[in-house]
Amino acid sequence: MSSLKPFSKLPALNTANILLVESEEQLQQSLAAALVEEASVTVNVRLAKSLPLPVENEESRPRIDLVVFIINLTSELSFQSAEASLKYLDPGYFLGKVCFMVTNARSASVPTERLDGVRKLAASLHCPLLFAEDQTSDGVTNATERLLTMLKVAAGLVPMATALYLSHLTRCTVPPDIDQPSFD
Amino acid sequence: MAAQQNLAGPSDSDTSSVSDQSVSSRSVNRSLRVAEKERRKNKASDPYVVALKYFSDVEAGTPVYGNDEVENNMVLVEKVAYSKGLSPEAISVMLEFGMSLRMGTSLCARVLKCLIPASVVPQEAVVRAVVWLGVGKLPISTQVLFIKWVLTIFDLIDAKDQLRAIYGFIFSFVTDENLCPFICHLLYLLTRKESVRVFRVRKLLELQSKLGRQPFLLHLLSLYKVFCPELVTLSIPSRMKSGFRNHNSTWKSALTGVQKRNGSQVALSNNPAFTIKDKTNSRKRKHYHLELPALSSVVNKEAQTEPSSSRKLLPLVQLHSFAQLLENMHRIELPAQMGSLLGSSLPLQYLDFVQDESALLRLNFWLGYALHEEFLFCGDGGALQTSEEALQFLNKLLSTQHFLQEGFSSSEAFLYKFLAVWDGSLLRPQILGLLSNVPVVPSSQIGRLLFEPLMQLFFTSSMFFKCGLMECLNNMLLKWLTWHSVYALEDDLDISLNSHTSINMTLSGFKDSVMELVDFAGRLSSVGLQLEGCHSLFLSFVLDFYETVCDMFLKYGLPLVVMPPPGVFYPAMCATDPVSVDRLAYIMYRYKVNLTSAKSQEKLTEQAFHISRETFREFNQYLVVMVNCLWNSKMFQPGMGVQLEEELLLKSNVPQYWTSFDLIHHPAFMSYAVDFHQKCWPGTKDMDLNSIKNSKPWSWYLEYLFTQGYDGLKQFVQSNINWQLTAGDKRGDSRSTQQT
Repeated sequence: MSSLKPFSKLPALNTANILLVESEEQLQQSLAAALVEEASVTVNVRLAKSLPLPVENEESRPRIDLVVFIINLTSELSFQSAEASLKYLDPGYFLGKVCFMVTNARSASVPTERLDGVRKLAASLHCPLLFAEDQTSDGVTNATERLLTMLKVAAGLVPMATALYLSHLTRCTVPPDIDQPSFD
Repeated sequence: MAAQQNLAGPSDSDTSSVSDQSVSSRSVNRSLRVAEKERRKNKASDPYVVALKYFSDVEAGTPVYGNDEVENNMVLVEKVAYSKGLSPEAISVMLEFGMSLRMGTSLCARVLKCLIPASVVPQEAVVRAVVWLGVGKLPISTQVLFIKWVLTIFDLIDAKDQLRAIYGFIFSFVTDENLCPFICHLLYLLTRKESVRVFRVRKLLELQSKLGRQPFLLHLLSLYKVFCPELVTLSIPSRMKSGFRNHNSTWKSALTGVQKRNGSQVALSNNPAFTIKDKTNSRKRKHYHLELPALSSVVNKEAQTEPSSSRKLLPLVQLHSFAQLLENMHRIELPAQMGSLLGSSLPLQYLDFVQDESALLRLNFWLGYALHEEFLFCGDGGALQTSEEALQFLNKLLSTQHFLQEGFSSSEAFLYKFLAVWDGSLLRPQILGLLSNVPVVPSSQIGRLLFEPLMQLFFTSSMFFKCGLMECLNNMLLKWLTWHSVYALEDDLDISLNSHTSINMTLSGFKDSVMELVDFAGRLSSVGLQLEGCHSLFLSFVLDFYETVCDMFLKYGLPLVVMPPPGVFYPAMCATDPVSVDRLAYIMYRYKVNLTSAKSQEKLTEQAFHISRETFREFNQYLVVMVNCLWNSKMFQPGMGVQLEEELLLKSNVPQYWTSFDLIHHPAFMSYAVDFHQKCWPGTKDMDLNSIKNSKPWSWYLEYLFTQGYDGLKQFVQSNINWQLTAGDKRGDSRSTQQT
């Protein structure tokens, strides 16, 4: 088992590489299609169902600047798969080069515990947690824009900003449940 | 428009004839009757009619098993119910058949499940069914099912007066542990001031001690407390869990289907509100909540028939003018559905006048429920179909809040939850609009409720979101400051914000909240400017915000002055567009006016407040920097905010680097200087901008700049720089106000 390392390869000029990990492969495709449209930099999108990545492509694979775990909240499996994949990432990635993207968070069929679980996971790893509306094209466009914002920083394309700096500003925190009645 | 027609209704009909139903439901009934008659004519031998007849006539005790007739008829009714919905008469027949248990309990549940109304549900049928509940033969699960059904179709019941009349009877079921949550919900919907009695309060408190602080009990008790505060001494938590979650998706989806299929037919005969909005008729039951119900109210029957009754109530729907409202202020009957208030201005004026806590509580309850259902607890793919309706609903809510000039507490609570799962683009203008209406948040909670989710969204989103959020924060601050200036009580420095919810806040608490908000916006703008490369569009929104901040003392009477962080000041001063520099100059000018007047007032009254030395120091430093840069050509001098090593500056090979940010060489004004030079000395080949610095051309140059519309710069120069033309070569020095 090989783990993905953030700095094992040299970056290419004006290029950003993003890896989308989603066990259900629903949002991946549309996101990837929208991401490569970006004109100002060359964006390479790599897709995976889960980690670890196969060893045979190791050589040709570019340096990955941002790893995105897409979790569909309506499926327990999706969450578990993302959780299991995490251990194949080099710790260096957790300095701002990992983020979680959650879909279907507003659905009635999602148990609140699962969302809390994802929050806790993201908070414990100091990663940002993004929410996406995958049902509408506007939602996908917006999700793409947000990923690009983070990707550009993570790939070092934004002057005076680093991935660690951005993730320090955006990382997820576990909120004390605001549902709880406060008897004050 | 339909609502207006509806409102105009009573005037041409005979108003003196006492009716027990509102006009709208009367016309509904009429059109239904016509439709029913037609149907009967067409399908006299319709098997469905036969089936209904069977159910109304069937003898008690007829066996169910092996009885093909029941099965066939049942299937027929179900088919109609799921495709077109049942008419009011059919509902009555089937409900009576089911609840009377004429053919056992198994069929009862099945009947209940298929009771999908095509239009309205007759009140009498519901009342009769409730009576059957009391007979006590129904299994508990069926009882729950029935109450759930009533809750689901509550809005469709044609009148509620008789249901209110049996309030006590319904209340008696509250002791049943299984039914309690549902009964509480039903009671909540039915409760009026007359129904609050000591013994009922006592019963509920007793239940609470037995069951614990259940949200459904608390909600009912809080309503009781609003009606009769003297009877309920319990303290109700300010922020409660959304109490009644009794939605039933199977009925709702069935209703959705039925209403969609019946489309225009139902929409026309059912409810005038249905035709107001759009003509697509893709109405879904689930989204019925998003429809503002028509303004109709259930007239109290006794109050009209008995002349002896002391107070005659006048439903809001019968009011047509403001004068009428004023005359009848004391005897207004609120509509059955508080949501209908959102649409029309007259009831809102009433609401604003009387400050009726119970009305507001009911409205809040309805609103909180609707918002939660539609935006946080969607069915599958909810976002897709609702977008248009959701948009209209939120716009309506926004315009209501603008009308009342304050937010609803339920929309506030909803926002805090919604922000935590927001993607930043869904309904952005509406959400940001609602957000800017949020009343003052205590400083202890503001970070958790607002800042954390907003920060995550801000830094991962596009620049346009960043601009939108800055604008929203600016509006929020403006509203808070306006509230302060309106509600602040002079004597004890205590302000009560938000007249309806009576949040009391001390002045220092309010100042802390404002401070937090300004600091937060300062952090966002510093880092945002850095990440966006000082984009001038974003900078303009940031300067908007600080234009509000710099005038807090003079315009809104809040004794607080907060300077912008260096991350905002320097990018604005070195901006490449003259407008930003001009606005910064204006802001600094306003800061000076505010600080001087605060200073003089402090001397005058000897107490009031104290602006810290630190603020004055910061202001003076900014002022010195600005004057030195723009006027004295002394950039990068030691002791200023921006310092660079001498060697580094020499290495840059910029000639006379210290002049590079004065009014002539500043990247924002260079083009004006060149233009001025050409106008001043036409025909000179070699352009020497430094020649403008001589006394005379300099004053002309300034005049020239001021005529270009840079009023901020003009005010800044006039108030801060002691400069006379006669002073010859020595141009005025900085006269930074020494106020410390």
